[in-house]
Amino acid sequence: MATPWRRAKRLKYADPEVETLQHKEFPNEGLLSVISQYVAGGESAVFSVKGYSMRPFLEHLRDKVELSPFTELQVGDAVLAEISPGHYVLHRIIVREDNQLTLKGDGNLQGVEHCTVDDVRGVVTKYIRPGGHVLMADDPKLKRKIKLWGKLPTFVRRVYLFIYRQTI
Amino acid sequence: MVICGEAIVVGHGKANMDFSKVINLNESAAYLFRSVVGREFDAAELARLLCEEYEVEEAVALADAQKIMKEWQEAGLTE
Repeated sequence: MATPWRRAKRLKYADPEVETLQHKEFPNEGLLSVISQYVAGGESAVFSVKGYSMRPFLEHLRDKVELSPFTELQVGDAVLAEISPGHYVLHRIIVREDNQLTLKGDGNLQGVEHCTVDDVRGVVTKYIRPGGHVLMADDPKLKRKIKLWGKLPTFVRRVYLFIYRQTI
Repeated sequence: MVICGEAIVVGHGKANMDFSKVINLNESAAYLFRSVVGREFDAAELARLLCEEYEVEEAVALADAQKIMKEWQEAGLTE
């Protein structure tokens, strides 16, 4: 890669034919922090999903979500939460007791996260598939599927996810 | 904006910021973009800006300006 131009006028610069523009993946921590700030300011933000923990409803770098500010949180909502400083997860609320939330990835057979409502940076309002097809998070059909998925026995989910991995 | 120390441009849709279409700009590209964002410009102006800021010959600056304009257009930053 060529060296970028130097600001100091008297410095010799190299060929500017560098990767001046590139589609870039940033570490989650940096990007999600900026996204959180935007959402806190009242704006919605779209970003690509990273990771496999929300299978089968969200696929790594295939799907995008729209994250929005929220006034109410309920069980079944997928949320972006900062579960420890700089550590974000996009998982679904499975239990709410007052201000306390328990989160779990749809594709996680074990393991949950605990946080509070204050740790939530935004709620998923749209699931965006390749080609721009949008599923609203409050779509009744989608909500039924998510609810059903959560009630399936672990073994059934394990088998389904295994088959899903082979076909994706 | 700057994320992880890098200057980037983020697409702004009708209702949201689209962080899935982030475009990374190097130092000189970010300088040019900041200088002309929101208004009309041409390659000659970009070349002039480059010559003002950097030690670069006019002919080289103009050629580079034309290239970066093409790249911006392909990336959807300009019309």
